[in-house]
Order: sequence, then C-alpha cells, then structure tokens
Amino acid sequence: MSEFVNVNRTNGEIRVEQLVKKYPGDVVAVDDISFHVESGQIFGFLGPNGAGKSTTIKILTTLALPTEGIAFVGGYDVVCEAADVRRIAGVALQDIGLDPMMKSMELLTLQGQLFGNSRSGARKRAEELLELMRLTDAKDRRVGTYSGGMRRRLDLALALVHEPQILFLDEPTTGLDPAGRRDVWEEVRRLNRQLGMTIFLTTQYLEEADELADVIAIIDRGKVQTEGSPARLKAAVGNESINLAFESGEIAERARVDLKDLADRIQSDRDVVRLYVSQAAERIPLVVNRLQELELNPISITLTQPTLDDVFLQVTGQRLIAQEAMPVQPE
Amino acid sequence: MTTQTSTQEMACRTPRQRWSPLQLLLVTWRNLVTIVRTPEALLPPIAISVFFLIIYDSTLGKASGFIPNIGSNSYLGFILPLSIVSSSLSGAGVAAQNLVRDIESGYFDKLLLTPISRATLLFAPILAGAFILGMQASIVVGIGLLLGLQPATGFPGLLVVIGLAILLGTGFAGFTVSAALGSGSAAATQGASFIFFPLTFLAPTFVPIDLLDGWLKSAAQINPITYVLEAMRGLINQGWDGVALWQGVLACLLLAGAMYALAVFALRVRTRRT
Repeated sequence: MSEFVNVNRTNGEIRVEQLVKKYPGDVVAVDDISFHVESGQIFGFLGPNGAGKSTTIKILTTLALPTEGIAFVGGYDVVCEAADVRRIAGVALQDIGLDPMMKSMELLTLQGQLFGNSRSGARKRAEELLELMRLTDAKDRRVGTYSGGMRRRLDLALALVHEPQILFLDEPTTGLDPAGRRDVWEEVRRLNRQLGMTIFLTTQYLEEADELADVIAIIDRGKVQTEGSPARLKAAVGNESINLAFESGEIAERARVDLKDLADRIQSDRDVVRLYVSQAAERIPLVVNRLQELELNPISITLTQPTLDDVFLQVTGQRLIAQEAMPVQPE
Repeated sequence: MTTQTSTQEMACRTPRQRWSPLQLLLVTWRNLVTIVRTPEALLPPIAISVFFLIIYDSTLGKASGFIPNIGSNSYLGFILPLSIVSSSLSGAGVAAQNLVRDIESGYFDKLLLTPISRATLLFAPILAGAFILGMQASIVVGIGLLLGLQPATGFPGLLVVIGLAILLGTGFAGFTVSAALGSGSAAATQGASFIFFPLTFLAPTFVPIDLLDGWLKSAAQINPITYVLEAMRGLINQGWDGVALWQGVLACLLLAGAMYALAVFALRVRTRRT
C-alpha cells in the first residue's frame, strides 16, 4: 500500500492526535480523535450526517481551527503552517464552490495562475484536467449550465490544479447518480494508483468506503469508533453465515432445531434459517449431509459474509442510512 | 474555548500571503467578466439615473429661474451632478453584489484556499466596481451633453467630474462591501446599498445649500455628498474653483478612509479561522 517514496518521513502523510473541536454552546463536533494516514493510502472516513466528518476535513484543510489537539498534513502543522498545507493539499468540499457565471476553462486557468503558474502553463494544465475529467466539450460553457456530475468533476479538477500530494474529498459522490458515482470512484482510484496521491475521503456510503478505502475509520458522534482495513473490520464483527431458504416456515423451524449443533448460533426468520459459524464455507458439506439425512430440501443455500453495515451496526448500535446531504450541513 | 483557539493560532506566527499586483489584476478581471455577464444588474442603475436626469430637468428646469444662485447657467448643469452621484453610488452596489455572490456560492472559500492575499479579495471587486461606475458616470455625462449641456470647464472639467464620481463610488463601495462581508447575504447587502438613496437627499439636492434651512442644512453640511455635488456643479456651471474641488476630493477621501477601515475589519472577521 504505502511505499514511502518520499525522503521526508512525514511527507504525504496525515497525522491527527487528540483532535477536539468545540463550538459555542458546548457543541462538541469532534471529540478527541486520533488517526494516521500513510503516504499513498486511501483513507475513508465513514459516518452519518453530523458525525463530525466535515468539521475534521475543515480543520485539516486549514479552513477551521482545532480547539485542542494537533494535526499535521504532509508534515505541516495545520494551525501554524497553513500556507504550506494549502500548497501541498487539494480540497473538494461538500458544498461545491463554483461561480456559475464563469466557464470551466476560465476557472481552471485562473486557479492555476493564482497558484503561480504562467498563463500558458495554467491553460495547458487546465486542458489536461478538462480532458481527465471529460469536460473538454463543455469547457467554454458557463458552469451554471452544468449537471450535478459535471460540477463535481470540475470541482475535483480545481482541487487538482496545483498537483497536490494529498487530496481531501468531502462526500465526493453525495447527490450523484450511480453512474456519476462510479466515475468519481474510478477517478479517485486512478489518482491514487497513477500519481501515488494520498486521499482522505469522507462518505456516508458503506459501499463507497468498502470499494475505495485501504483503511476505514468509522466516526459517530464526534468519535472514531473503530479503524482498520475493510476486511479486518468485517472479520472482527465475527461470523459469516450459511443461509438456507425452505419452502415453508415449518420446515425452516424443523431445520433450525435439527441443525443447532452445527452452528455457533442459529436463527430462523420465516422460511430462512441462518447458521452463524466461522469458516462457513468449510462447514457447508456437513450441513448438506445433515439436510439429506433429515430429508429436508432447501430451495437455496447462500453464504453471507459480514458487511461494513454489520460493522457499523456493531460499533455504533445503529444502521447507517445514507441521506442526501442537505444544502447546509449543520456539522 | 475561543481563547484557547486564538492563543493556539497566536503561538505561531502565520506569515501572511504577499500582495501581488498580478493576482489583483487577475481577480479584478474575473470580477469584470462576471459583471458583464449579468447585464440585468448593470443596466437599471444607468437607466434610473438617466430617467431622473430627464424628469428633474424638465419638471424643475422651468422653475429654475425663480431659484437664486444657480447662476446664469442651465438647471441641467445644476442637476446633472445629482444624477452622476446617484449612478456612482448605486454602481458601488455592483462591487458588493459580486462579492456576496461569491460568498453565497462558496467560490470565496475556494479562493481563500489559494495563495491569494486577503487584500486582493477585498480590492478586486472594488476595482471592478470602480471601472463599472466610471463607465456609468461617463454614460450619464454623455447623455447630459446630448441634452445640450455646455460645461464651463470643457472636456477636462468633465473628466474631473467623472474622476470625482469614481472616487466617491469606490469610497462608498467600502461600505457596501463591508455589508457583503459582514452579512454574507445578497438581500442584506442590497438593503445596505440603498442607504445612498436618503443620503443624496440630505444634501443641496435640488437647490443651492444657501437655500436650505434648519436640520436639513446641518445634515447637508456633514454629508460628504454635499461637497462632491458642489465641486461637480462648480466645474460644470462656474469654472475651475480650487477650494470647492479640494473640498470635494477631501470629502471623498475621508469617506473612503472610514469605509475601508470598516471593510478591512469585516474582511478580518469573515476570513478569520474559527
């Protein structure tokens, strides 16, 4: 995953220690969180609306100050070395900040020039990014006429103008249709693999975190509840399950009683029986033999592995229901 | 909590972004581009100024013979500065509208994350506004010429009149921009911009200042617009009058100084990390 290509040991990394953010009125948006993102990693910050994700990203991108704790982005202190952080980090915030009157080519060129590029250099970079984000055809149209997906892609392009080493994406796919979501995922992966960019992304979509992130931190009510690779997190929730579907609830109930000794835990729900076991795949032949002995014929046998949703349920006590972000998120 | 935050930031000396003329030029240009692309915000102030110019001239112009101290010149020359002043004051609203649009769209935050100086964020919209209101003043002056205006100081005098309009408008823009930064709301900014409207009437608006009386005269005497109007009228109707001219310029500079102090404060509050 991480190759430590940079000589500078903190370059490309994000280090957060005991970060706290309080707002007036004793609102604790971020409550003592610590984590470490290695260079070249995709780090997923997963949590429901209001969990503290956007606040964390605002602190890390120098838009807000922490109340307590320290945070280093690419080796630079977000409080004292804000200008350095801005130079090496790119940000695409949840609220897309684009001027609808401008054309994408103009916005990208201006952004490049503000970062010190020459006019021709900035134009060249803008062309590259428009190509990368498949916006070349729309480059001379006003941004106000763009679709939601196009705005997202342009916003991402703007975040990439100065070739950042670390990219922050705050809910990059919220409000996009499934196709648009896939596009963004592909882009994020490509930036990470081809350019070795460290990517910190927040999301309220389980499958997004699962799909993209090397490491996931689940955040809820301002605290990091658990952290690890998706596989490890899922393994930690425990058992996989063998699911047997029968023709009727009575047959399922018989099966539940007679298969009890083959599972760590067994459950029936109408005509489905679930056997929770570790190494479920290896247990399947035993289960099938027993079913034959009992002359119980299931309609289907499936194997379920724990999902991030199960992880989320276990650590937060609730299911993560993704909501479309409201225009203003009171985080 | 808040004290902790500020001490934390004060513990390190954050170097400020250096001011760069190129950046100011780029961002001013971008402001002009967006202004030009919203003609609906640009045309009404000119239309209203021209409308009032014609109305005042044709309704009050006939009666001007009864008003003393206007001199031998036409009422048109007396009333034209009012039109120019009100167009430049409403033009100052354009700068603020542009800024507030950026705050509302979030583009302002995006600019904040680039290596741009804070001063550029403030003065780019003001400069763009100055350019626009210079154009507006020129158009109003042009219409005055079409209506038969014969300025006492000729073409150079008219250039000074336009210069005064720009100076007054950019000073007032300090106020409207403060409102934009402070409120972050287009409606509030628009409301604040309309303060110019009563201000133009607390002045020797339709008759010379000697004919005003009581509280209105007192109000007119501390209103910077009075001195700008007087200076412009002098240039158009009388001729070069050093004292009136310098009083006009000084009034503009005092207004600008006070308003820019307010704007810098509003910018600090707006861009302070919390």
